[in-house]
Amino acid sequence: MTARGEVEYTGVRALHGPLAVVEGVSGVGWDEFVRIALADGGTRHGLVLEVDRDIAVVQVLEGTAGMDPAGLRVVFSGEPLRIPVGAGWLGRVCNGRGEPIDGGPPVFGSRRAPVSGDPVNPVRREPPSEPVLTGVGAVDGLTTLVRGQKLPVFSAAGLPHLELAAQIAAQATAGGEAFSVVFAGMGLTHPDAAFVRGALEERSAAGELVVLLNTADDPVIERVLTPRVALTVAEDLAFSGGRHVLVVMTDMTSYAEALREVSAARGEVPARRAYPGYLYSDLASLYERCGRIRGRPGSVTVLPVLTMPAGDITHPVPDLTGYITEGQIVLSGEAHARGIYPPVDPLASLSRLMRKGAGPGHTRADHLDVAAQLLAAIARAREVRELADLMGHAGLSAADRRYLDLDAAFLERFVDQRPDELRPLEDTLERAWEVLLTLPRGQLAMLPAALLDARLPGSPAPEAAPAEVPADPA
Amino acid sequence: MSGLAPGTEAALAPVREELLRRAHAEAAAHLSAADREAEDLLRDAAAKAEGIAAQARRQGEAEGAWAARAVLADARRTAGECELAARREVYEDLRRQVLARVRALRRAPEYPALLDRLVRRARRLLGPEARVTEAPLGGCVAVAGHRRVDQTLDALATRALESLGSEVESLWTP
Repeated sequence: MTARGEVEYTGVRALHGPLAVVEGVSGVGWDEFVRIALADGGTRHGLVLEVDRDIAVVQVLEGTAGMDPAGLRVVFSGEPLRIPVGAGWLGRVCNGRGEPIDGGPPVFGSRRAPVSGDPVNPVRREPPSEPVLTGVGAVDGLTTLVRGQKLPVFSAAGLPHLELAAQIAAQATAGGEAFSVVFAGMGLTHPDAAFVRGALEERSAAGELVVLLNTADDPVIERVLTPRVALTVAEDLAFSGGRHVLVVMTDMTSYAEALREVSAARGEVPARRAYPGYLYSDLASLYERCGRIRGRPGSVTVLPVLTMPAGDITHPVPDLTGYITEGQIVLSGEAHARGIYPPVDPLASLSRLMRKGAGPGHTRADHLDVAAQLLAAIARAREVRELADLMGHAGLSAADRRYLDLDAAFLERFVDQRPDELRPLEDTLERAWEVLLTLPRGQLAMLPAALLDARLPGSPAPEAAPAEVPADPA
Repeated sequence: MSGLAPGTEAALAPVREELLRRAHAEAAAHLSAADREAEDLLRDAAAKAEGIAAQARRQGEAEGAWAARAVLADARRTAGECELAARREVYEDLRRQVLARVRALRRAPEYPALLDRLVRRARRLLGPEARVTEAPLGGCVAVAGHRRVDQTLDALATRALESLGSEVESLWTP
């Protein structure tokens, strides 16, 4: 046992809001984890925010309300927060710093790991591969999530991103291989936290899920720890336990705001919109913990959810997130207003690694072709709709009107699904075909002839088809 | 008495008959149309009723399934909470037992040697100038200025419990 962690400091000079100023300390470093014993026998925890000579500023995770500075004993652990890791986390519901809130005993693990994570040698990284199927048609069909990928959901206030995050956390699978989900909720309201617990109850009972809930009224420094705790748990489940792990982190904007508060408390020079200048590297230090490691089983896939303040995609949080991540799923207020769930904007959404996890040998041979043709058709449908807004429906050609039909069918038959509906990929792709076949064969030039022949027996070959065919080829 | 010329009545008789026949035919046609319409209406109503019944059945089934899921989820939640509460109780019992056993060391013959080691450890951490006092429940507390070392038996037991690993889980795993 070392001296660090045994010596208690009693010189608490002052308490300011969540901060405790401790004097007479030596050898204390930034981000050290701190235990504070109260005169009444209680214990609180904190992190070192600032050190100047023999004075340390400690942010108390539980707040300083009711604390008497005269009776405090502060112990510096000599290292950043370490947590036990192992399968003991599965099925548990904890607060943002990993303490149980489900009425159970503390979480135990075979070893302890620093929440800041151990950096992975870049040459030992394996590129992402194989899909994580979410059971959400719009995601699996058009922006397939790949094991080891980081794919954020860009949303705005009022859109059902929490429902989507919970649905993906409840439904996602990795083709029958061992799979677990770590759900990190940050800055959630109490009703939202209750919704998450209810939505994930079944998976939690099945021992496939870890839930970390930091509510809006919890200390901000705990919010900064929450994704780190989640990723530390996930890394062990993946690389020691051999599981494919999906980490859902919502809401990263709330996390960034917590980072801004902590940065201001440290007196750092503010950068864009008062976020700290290191926001990019801080976000990267979280998102880059996903992936696969050569020679080790399992993978960590990250699905961060972030709300764009005022729907502004140039806001620092979505902007910097977009630099780091491999695509995005964008939710649209327009689709939401039309009653479509999930209100995914297919043209703004993209999974850059989709080809590594979809198509022949991964999902279904026609997956990539169907997705590409569907996106092209939706893009054309958007143009047609803009044209119709200008010149009226009467001025549209028969083929253009088919595109409007396709757009409606796309939203109603392909995208729209219930928040508790697990849609198999096979069903998703069949629906995609059904939507595509509202167009005449001549308009489906991106699909291989063999696929079209199989779907449209007896229909004319593409080159023989007229540009505008009024008859329904189906 | 009719003001018509004689013979007119007889002459109009075929007209009257024809009008009557037509009226009867029209009435019969109306009756049959009304019958057909009634049949159609009844058929439509029956189909509609069947549709509504089917929809109600589907809705009832969906609501029943939802309610069953909710009951199942509630039962699962309650079972989960009971299991976790039981684990916590077992863990608290372990804590109580460990604390009691460590406190019992105070009455053990090797206690003076143990206390001596604890005092030496405290002085090593805080320096020779530290003021060391024996704690009422066993062990010692050393103070030097704003620094303090808690070497009481309770503190030692708590640290030992906190460093426990997953072996504790054997208390509740078969």
